Amino acid sequence: MTNARIGAASDLAIDLADVTKMYAGRVHALQGVAMQVRRGEIFGLLGPNGAGKSTLVKIMTTIVRATTARGTILGAPVGHRPTLARVGYLPEHHRFPQYLTGRQCVEFFGAMSLMRRTERRARAAEMLDVVGMGAWGDRRVGTYSKGMQQRTGLAAALVNDPELVILDEPTDGVDPVGRREIRDVLLAMRDQGRTVFLNSHLLGEVEMVSDRVAIMLKGKVERQGSMAELTDDSRRWRVTIEGTAPAWCAEFARVSPLLEQGSGGSARHAVEFRNDDIAFVQSVIDRLRAEQIAIVGVREIRESLEDLFMRLVRDVDGRAKAVGAGNVNTGTAAGAGAGADAKGGR
Amino acid sequence: MHPLHREKLDAGDLAVQTWAQFVSAYRELNARKLFWVALILNAVVIGAVAAIGIDEKGISIFGYALGIPGVNSRLFPDGKLYKLIITTVGVSFWLSWISTILALLSTASMFPDLATGGVDTLLSKPIGRTRLLLTKFATGLLFTALQVSVFAVLAFLVLGIRGGVWEIGLFVVVPLMVVFFSYLFAVQAVVGLVTRSPIASVIVACLFWIFVFLVHSGEQFTLFGATASRLEIEGMEKKLASLQTEEAKSGLAAKLEEQKANDGNWRLAHGIFFAFKTVLPKTTETANLVARELDVRVNNAPADEEPQQDDENARRQRGFFRSQFVTEKKLSAEIQKEMDARPVWWVVGTSFGFELALLGIGVWYFRRRDF
Repeated sequence: MTNARIGAASDLAIDLADVTKMYAGRVHALQGVAMQVRRGEIFGLLGPNGAGKSTLVKIMTTIVRATTARGTILGAPVGHRPTLARVGYLPEHHRFPQYLTGRQCVEFFGAMSLMRRTERRARAAEMLDVVGMGAWGDRRVGTYSKGMQQRTGLAAALVNDPELVILDEPTDGVDPVGRREIRDVLLAMRDQGRTVFLNSHLLGEVEMVSDRVAIMLKGKVERQGSMAELTDDSRRWRVTIEGTAPAWCAEFARVSPLLEQGSGGSARHAVEFRNDDIAFVQSVIDRLRAEQIAIVGVREIRESLEDLFMRLVRDVDGRAKAVGAGNVNTGTAAGAGAGADAKGGR
Repeated sequence: MHPLHREKLDAGDLAVQTWAQFVSAYRELNARKLFWVALILNAVVIGAVAAIGIDEKGISIFGYALGIPGVNSRLFPDGKLYKLIITTVGVSFWLSWISTILALLSTASMFPDLATGGVDTLLSKPIGRTRLLLTKFATGLLFTALQVSVFAVLAFLVLGIRGGVWEIGLFVVVPLMVVFFSYLFAVQAVVGLVTRSPIASVIVACLFWIFVFLVHSGEQFTLFGATASRLEIEGMEKKLASLQTEEAKSGLAAKLEEQKANDGNWRLAHGIFFAFKTVLPKTTETANLVARELDVRVNNAPADEEPQQDDENARRQRGFFRSQFVTEKKLSAEIQKEMDARPVWWVVGTSFGFELALLGIGVWYFRRRDF
C-alpha cells in the first residue's frame, strides 16, 4: 500500500494530504505529499538529502509555511498553534541558549508549551532523569558535549508530555550507548501511547524501532506502510536442499549455485520460489521429499529496508533521467546524490 | 483530554510564555559581563556626583574646595546643582550615549540569533510569530530598563541625601530612556533580523543614530537662524518706528527688506528640516524631556531687555548675526520657548510612529520567512 487512507481521522495523529512547498526560484521542495501516521505508533521518515523530509517536518511544526497544505495534526488543521502545546519537537542541529542550564532550558520550553510552573519543574526533573541528564541538569548548556545537548533536547521535547513527538535526527552526535538509550526512550514513549515521528538518515535505526515508515524521494512520498507491507512484493520462499536440485524446479524457481558444503561433503543448493504462495511451496516440498531429496531449511526471504530504499532511489533517479532527457527543468529541490542517503545505513 | 489541550490560548497562557521569555532574557543579561560592567559604571557615575559638595561658601569635591567664584548654594538652591549634573552628565551624556552604546552592543546578537539557530524550537511552540518577535523586542529593552532603574534609584538617593530634595520626578528617566533606547533598538532589531549579523546591526543602528543627530542638528541650526531672523526683523521694525529722519529710515528700511528676503530662506530651510525630523525618532529631545521634567534651568531671568549698543557687556551678548537688535540671551530664551512648546506627544508620539512602522516591517518580514 502507498498513499491510501488507513483509518478514521480520530485514529490518526498526522493526516496530511496534498502538502506542497515551492521556495523562491520555483524550487519545488514538496510535490503533494500525503501521509498518515496512526496514534501510538513509531513512524519513520526516510529519504535522501534534499528529498524534502525536513521541509515537511518544519511545515508540521509551523517553522516553514506550506504553499498548500490540507490535513490535520492531532485532529486540528495543520498550522493550528494551540495544538502545538501537545507536540514535542527536537529539531536537527538545534541550538539552545548557552547561558541557560539544562534544567532551565527544559523548563523554558515547558513554559513556552503553556505548562504552569509547578508541573513543568517536576516534569523537567523527571525528563532529565529519563534521558540520563539528571546529574548534569544544573550546568550550563554551553558546557555540554553534542551528545549531552541532544539528550537535553530530547528532554525539552518531552517536557510537555506530548501526544505527538517529532524527532529530527535524534541520535545525531550521540555515542552507541546513548543511541541505545534513546531507542529505549522511543520505545517507552510508544508504550505510553504517544506517537513518535522519527526523521532519520539511519535506515537501521528507523527499521529497528519503527512500526511504519514512509520513504520520500524528490518531494514525494514514494512508499509508506509497515515493514511487512513495504516488502510484501519482494516476499519469497527459499528451500535449501542437500545435493542438486531436480530439473523441474527451474520451471517455477530460481536455483542458486552451490551455497555451501553439507556435513557429508555434499553440496547444498537453494531453491528460491518466485511466488509467495505457501501452499504451493508445501506441495513442492512434498515432491522433493518424495524424490528423497533432503531438505535442510525453509525460510521466508524479504527485501531489507535498505535494499528497498536503494531500489526506489535508483528507480526514481532513472525516471528523472528519462524525463530529464526530454525536459531539463525537473523543478525539484531534490538533487543531492541519492547515495548520500545510505550514509551510516547499516 | 490532554491538560494542554486548547482551542485558543487564554490570558494565563500568554502570561506564562511572556514571563518565561523575560526570565530567560534576564538570565542572558546576567550571564553577560558587559551588563555588570555597565551596572558598576552606573554606580561610579552617580558616586562621582555624590562626591560633589555645595554650600554657601562654594563647591567642593571629596571635601576639597574648588574655589570657583560665585558657584555656591545661593546660585544653585534646592539641590539644583545635583539635578543639573544628573541631567547633563548623567542623562544627556552617560545614559544617552555611553550606556546606550553598551546596551546596543549587549543586545546585538539577540535578533541575529533568533533568525538563525535558536528559532526552530521556539516557532514549534504555540506562539504566533508576531507575538514572539514583539516579546523578544520587549525583552531586549530589559538591559536599559534595569540599568536606568539602578541609575534612577542611586540618583534619587544622592539628590535626597546630598541635595536635600527627594525628587520623585527623577524616576521619569526610566521610561524616557527606555523609549529613547527603543528607537535605536528597533533599527538594530530589524537589521539583525534581515542580515543575521550582529556587527551589521550595531553599525547600521549607530549610523542611523548619527543620521538622526545630524538631522536634529540641522533643524536646530535652521531654527536658530529663523528665530534670530524673526527677532532681527522685529527689532528693525521697532527701531524704524522710532527713527526721526527720512535718511536714517530709508537706510534701515533697505536692510529690513533684505532681512525679510533672508527670513523666507531660513523659514523654508527650517520647514524642510522640521518635516524630515518629524518622521524620524527624536533622540535628543526625548533625553531632554528629563531636564524639562526636572526644570534644571538655572538662569530664568527675563531675556527681553534691549541691548545697550555702546555697552561692552552688550556687545559680548550680541547674537547670531552680530545683530544690533538681538542678544544671545534673548535668542536662547526664544529657542528654549520654542523647544518647550513642542508637546511631549509630538516628541515621543512621532518617534513611536517611526518605531512602530519599522517594527511593522520587521514583523512582516519575520512572518513571511521560512526557517
